[in-house]
Amino acid sequence: MAYRLWVRLTHALALIVFISVAGFALLRLMPGDFVEILLLSQMDGTLPDASQVARFAEANGLNDPLPVQYFRWLGALFQGDMGISLVTRAPVIDDIVLRIGKSMTLAVAGMGLALLIAIPAGILCALYPGGRIDRVCTTMTVIGMSIPNFWYALLLALLFSLVLGWLPSSGHGTLAHAVLPTLVIATSIAGVLARYIRSSLLEELTEPYIRTARAKGLGKIRTLLHHGVPNVVPGVLTLTGLQFARVFDGMIIVETLFAWPGIGRFLVESLLNRDYPAIQGCFLVIATAYILVNLAVDVAISIYDPRAREIV
Amino acid sequence: MALAQSFALGPILGRFAPGVSRRVWGLAAFVVVAIVAVLILPFFAPNDPFHSQFLHRLQPPGLDYPLGTDAMGRCVFSRLLYGARLTTLSALLVVALAAGFGSAVGCLTGMCGGFIDRVVMRFCEGVSVLPALAICMIISGVLGLGLQAVIIALAAVHWTDYARVMRNVVMVERGKTYVTAAEALGVPGHRIAMRHILPNIAAPLLTLGTYSLSWVILSFAGLSFLGLGVEPGTPEWGRMIAESRSHLREYPRLVLAPGLTIVGFVIAINMLGDVIGDRFRDTRASYFHPKD
Repeated sequence: MAYRLWVRLTHALALIVFISVAGFALLRLMPGDFVEILLLSQMDGTLPDASQVARFAEANGLNDPLPVQYFRWLGALFQGDMGISLVTRAPVIDDIVLRIGKSMTLAVAGMGLALLIAIPAGILCALYPGGRIDRVCTTMTVIGMSIPNFWYALLLALLFSLVLGWLPSSGHGTLAHAVLPTLVIATSIAGVLARYIRSSLLEELTEPYIRTARAKGLGKIRTLLHHGVPNVVPGVLTLTGLQFARVFDGMIIVETLFAWPGIGRFLVESLLNRDYPAIQGCFLVIATAYILVNLAVDVAISIYDPRAREIV
Repeated sequence: MALAQSFALGPILGRFAPGVSRRVWGLAAFVVVAIVAVLILPFFAPNDPFHSQFLHRLQPPGLDYPLGTDAMGRCVFSRLLYGARLTTLSALLVVALAAGFGSAVGCLTGMCGGFIDRVVMRFCEGVSVLPALAICMIISGVLGLGLQAVIIALAAVHWTDYARVMRNVVMVERGKTYVTAAEALGVPGHRIAMRHILPNIAAPLLTLGTYSLSWVILSFAGLSFLGLGVEPGTPEWGRMIAESRSHLREYPRLVLAPGLTIVGFVIAINMLGDVIGDRFRDTRASYFHPKD
């Protein structure tokens, strides 16, 4: 019955397989010999000679054909083994488990706040197109697209924590610490969401069933909320899922800026330390999370909208 | 204004390549003049942007230092001017790489159609919805974090946009009468592509290039803010903001100046995109009322 959902599920699975191959290839593509770099960190920086490299590679099966190595690596991955960090010498999975919850909190809070801003704004813009609210929204969106979000985050920190002293400028723990990071993430996507809600509502308002609703005597606002809005929900949900890409991008910047101990900051640190297993782990987690979020959106749409369950 | 006058170069340049419309040449000349204007900016720098004088650290704006000096005693204004050249050159390189590879792929799949087209386009869609900044960071991290790595990473993420747009444009143009006419006249395929289709899609390509330039500049600044791409101490806008962060409370101007420069630059480029977009619509109209 839910045929369309199955297609989506297969796509998501194919993407995850692709991501895992790309993640595996990451460590093989980097400049320099992978084995040498692994050994270098294990031997506290002394350069391994050729015989040591050969022995290590032989012992760990690194001379096997790449497909064999890939499946061995994949098998280990399913058991939660993402390799050992070159810097902390701890399993990468431990570092990631420690941080993923904090990142997800930030991402969900950011998206939630963005929707809280965008839905009323989009509906108001659609109610009065060309009006004052509409023009303000358009201007804000255009300006928002020209401002680098790391600079904008710094300006917010300057205003709210350094000048006014209302909020802490870095760290985590209390609710006050989460306000600025959430605000930055939310405002960086709220504009796009609001514009989309506005334009899809305006398009929906040209449909005959809206005219019927108006003709039977329903008010403007009631027509919009009870007939227009339910029909744009699937589209908005899809865009929300896709906008998680922007959320994850923003998260990297925001976590680094406000010293929020999440995946984004871990990725930046691993990059600067050239901690390749950790980079690989972050890549796998971020990409898989993004695919799963969008799969969840597809499931939500097919639950919400019976038409999405039809056989295509 | 020099920028406006450069449109007049169009008809002159047009004589060298009769296939391409003079208006498109005018646009190209306009863009080139704008780029050259940015590239010669460092010659107007009042001070050496690398020279740090500890006696002159954190000076307020004055006659010697138009925007004051930073924590290392370097002239902020001169650093901004050098940053303009670095940013523009890097961003242009990214756009050139992405546009070159992406439009080649887009044109090829648009011409081929069928299975290849579907596979390549699905891949491009997949890449362009992924978190671009995260992917860029990981690619450049694996390639070694340098400027070169960041440029390759940005291009590797960005070419899919060009492939998608070019594929759609080629699909539309392919079905038009002038292509059929050229085919009927027995013009070989590569000549149709170069002499007939390319001039007609040059303008949308230029518009897309301008808009993508502003995306690349913002991403580039973000990456160097995070410490990727340029070495510490390089006069680059994102890097300058990162290095002045610790002085945010006492000397907010050190963070404000590069930030406002980025915003102004990006807005200017977006406006350039609008100008080119308007001109593009003009060329469309001129099919009905040929003036050139």
